[in-house]
Amino acid sequence: MNSDLSHAETIEPTYDDRVVAAALASLPGIGPQRLRTLMRGLGVLPAWQVVRGEAPAPEHIAAMLRQDGLDRALRRAATVQLLDQMAAALHDGDIRVLLTTDAEYPASIRGDFAAPAVLFARGDVSAFANRRVGIIGTRAASAAGRHFARRLGRELARNGVSVVSGLARGIDAAAHRGVIDAFDAMSSVASNGKSHLAAPIAANIESPIAANLAAPIAAPIAVVASGLDVVYPREHATLWQQVAERGVIVSESPPGCAPDAFRFPLRNRILAMASELLVVVESRATGGSMITVDEAAKRGITVLAVPGSPHSDTSAGTNALIAQGATSVCDVADVLVALGIDHHRLAASSDARPRPSAADKVVLDALARRPSTFDHLVAELDLPIEDVAVRLGRLEAQGWAVVNGGWWEALLAS
Amino acid sequence: MFASVRSTTLLGVVGRAVDVEVHVGVGLPGFTIVGQPDEVCRESRDRVRAAFLSRGFAWPNRRITVNLAPSGERKGGAGLDLAIAVAVLIADEQLSPESAKQFAFVAELGLDGSLRSVVGAAPLVAAVRDRRVVVAAGNVAAARAAGASDVVAASDLAHAIACLRGQDEWISSNSSDVLPDAAPHPDLADVRGQPAARLALEVAAAGSHHVLLVGPPGAGKSMLARRLPGILPPLSDDEALSCTMVHSAAHVAMPPSGRITRPPFRSPHHSISMVGLIGGGTSAMRPGEVSLASEGVLFLDELGEFAPSVLDALRQPIEEGVVRVSRARTTLTFPARFLLVAAANPCPCGAGTPGVCVCDDSARAKYLRRFSGPLLDRFDLRLAVGLPRVDDLVDGRPGESSALVAARVVQARAIAAARNGGVNANIAVDDLDTYAPLEPAARALLRRELESGRLSGRGLHRVRRVARTIADLHDAPDLVGESHVATALQLRTALSTLAGGAR
Repeated sequence: MNSDLSHAETIEPTYDDRVVAAALASLPGIGPQRLRTLMRGLGVLPAWQVVRGEAPAPEHIAAMLRQDGLDRALRRAATVQLLDQMAAALHDGDIRVLLTTDAEYPASIRGDFAAPAVLFARGDVSAFANRRVGIIGTRAASAAGRHFARRLGRELARNGVSVVSGLARGIDAAAHRGVIDAFDAMSSVASNGKSHLAAPIAANIESPIAANLAAPIAAPIAVVASGLDVVYPREHATLWQQVAERGVIVSESPPGCAPDAFRFPLRNRILAMASELLVVVESRATGGSMITVDEAAKRGITVLAVPGSPHSDTSAGTNALIAQGATSVCDVADVLVALGIDHHRLAASSDARPRPSAADKVVLDALARRPSTFDHLVAELDLPIEDVAVRLGRLEAQGWAVVNGGWWEALLAS
Repeated sequence: MFASVRSTTLLGVVGRAVDVEVHVGVGLPGFTIVGQPDEVCRESRDRVRAAFLSRGFAWPNRRITVNLAPSGERKGGAGLDLAIAVAVLIADEQLSPESAKQFAFVAELGLDGSLRSVVGAAPLVAAVRDRRVVVAAGNVAAARAAGASDVVAASDLAHAIACLRGQDEWISSNSSDVLPDAAPHPDLADVRGQPAARLALEVAAAGSHHVLLVGPPGAGKSMLARRLPGILPPLSDDEALSCTMVHSAAHVAMPPSGRITRPPFRSPHHSISMVGLIGGGTSAMRPGEVSLASEGVLFLDELGEFAPSVLDALRQPIEEGVVRVSRARTTLTFPARFLLVAAANPCPCGAGTPGVCVCDDSARAKYLRRFSGPLLDRFDLRLAVGLPRVDDLVDGRPGESSALVAARVVQARAIAAARNGGVNANIAVDDLDTYAPLEPAARALLRRELESGRLSGRGLHRVRRVARTIADLHDAPDLVGESHVATALQLRTALSTLAGGAR
């Protein structure tokens, strides 16, 4: 016992505050609330000594630790090995630890009543200094919803607004893919001064190159539920990497943390804190997006919603939000206006798609009314099957329509 | 002392002639059957003895040995009963050897001596159709359908023996009697609206392309599938005979005429076992559903619910048109030239419609992983079917009747047969440029689809074959046009663009 203590005393001071904070956050039974109580009340190193049982705790903290035999479990878990493990994970995953006392800790989150005591970050935290708009929505999104989210993400990034999202399936991923699109387009412009992007709108007074140079593309911000070295969902590994390279991924969960279900509502609260505005692209009447909306409402953050067809379940939530008074978003300008940004100097987005011919327009108009199978479309238009097939093929090739699982949907906005 | 009488036994879907040899000699009284009889066959000694006593024939109280020649093959079924009884009577010199010489016997005996029908009468009789065949009354139609010209029936053992002695008359039904065939398949006119689905069926029938229908419950997938055999070309005599043999061997309910004259339609439940689908089993070696559907339609509803191993077993018969079932004792070949129609829900919740479906991407991807890629690839036609429109259901005009569509199908098949000597689904990849040359616009369309990644290399050949069939249906036997290719592409929907599925 004696040798153990002396060992701890000699080794522990060599551990960084941040490693100890990470270790505290990963202790069993320590959630955001208890972690905040420990760290705000005691500071990092004293808190560690308290959970190790090496230092006496103030009465309210001692009471908290006595609940359900928590103190014994903590003493067992708070080992030097845990510190070593954390140090290695932080180093391997290139993960930074932000404490509320750090200057880099995002100011918008620090001021919040439920701010996480420790925030893990991968990438460049300076993105939090930008204007920030959260884009959220259902995981089971329609093709049109995904398309809109992607376009919104791209246009916001081009106008210098950071997109905050959760890297979940569906809308979240689409929004960040849009941001990555903007970066890719930018780099292709940069690599060959006169790119294919510039050509169709060379005559425009405000060319996209000029706009891009005026407002650098804003870095994406992702708020995730799992540890930063646990990619979830796995199919987003590439996107995860791209966001980390160009912006930042933050999480309240220490490295190695699995994507447990209870972490997602907690993540949603940070997502709300990190956003100046929250745009719901598609959502059912209940679900994760609505939790984020509630968190935003608690903090007085403006919620905007994208209207959808009343026939579509995935727009039931957003339509209800609009009915309750949320501003509707039909265009990136709507978001910029809500942010108070001058949307007249909006980086002109060009629709490079050729206009559909009059014959193709008939088909496109039918699709714009509602998504449709080939079968329905033929029946509705009352045209020869071959005609509809040829026109649909053209619309698909030109990017006006997409098919998903046999259902055709129109993509009216580029 | 010794007698030999002709009968047959069933091996898979083929009858084999068997000589029933009986020796009655000195020794301890007994009755043994040799020559690899199965359990049912071995039990015939008790049935034969009881029938003798019931009908007043003397049972020889000597040593009776029955040999089923050729003795190297396993014999099954009760169809040998009558032949054994007749042979015992001859060997016991109660009946002259000459009287049974021109006959073959295919019937089971009851304990009271009555003659009973046997399973697989058609293939059984076919093996001995050069002789005068004695069957139970219930098997007469099947025996005639098998092509036996001289079929007679008897009511019981005593009647049969009296006829053989020339003391009585056989029951012989007039061969010119026309017994009713099976009811026709449901008509395509019942399908209101759904023009693309109707076209898909027509193309499937004309080019023998396998079809996958994907749609929510109530979209009419089964209704459509049931109408496909009605637009297939009528069976040729050989095909009808082969179908009749298989159905008879599998003991499937037959129409009164005893003949299968329309393309069969089989829709096994998704709990079906591998043996049930492919065939085989114990010594009986029954044909499976793929063989029963041969020359017709095999419909697999709820494709996702079938065991994956069962579905994958379909691949070989689809390619080869026959199933080879090997067991320890025998290897048999069953016919399996079926048109496969499968139906599946688009996703776990079944809705499919964007905005209504509640499945997220991962749930969809997981669902789609149930279908093996190689099997999905064999469906030339993959069509999303939506719920029928209310307008069509309530006051839509009835669609074209099956007869009209079938006429076009026959014509298109004739065009294809004249050009490539078979159906379009079987055009070899190397021959596609010869038999299905493309117009420049059609070529450009396919190139665009390939470059965008929406069409895979394997899909390309399938689309070209389907486009060939569509062109044939439009009476364009030479070049395949852009509209044909565009339509073929529409009839081969990717199941999920998200899951990376290309056409």
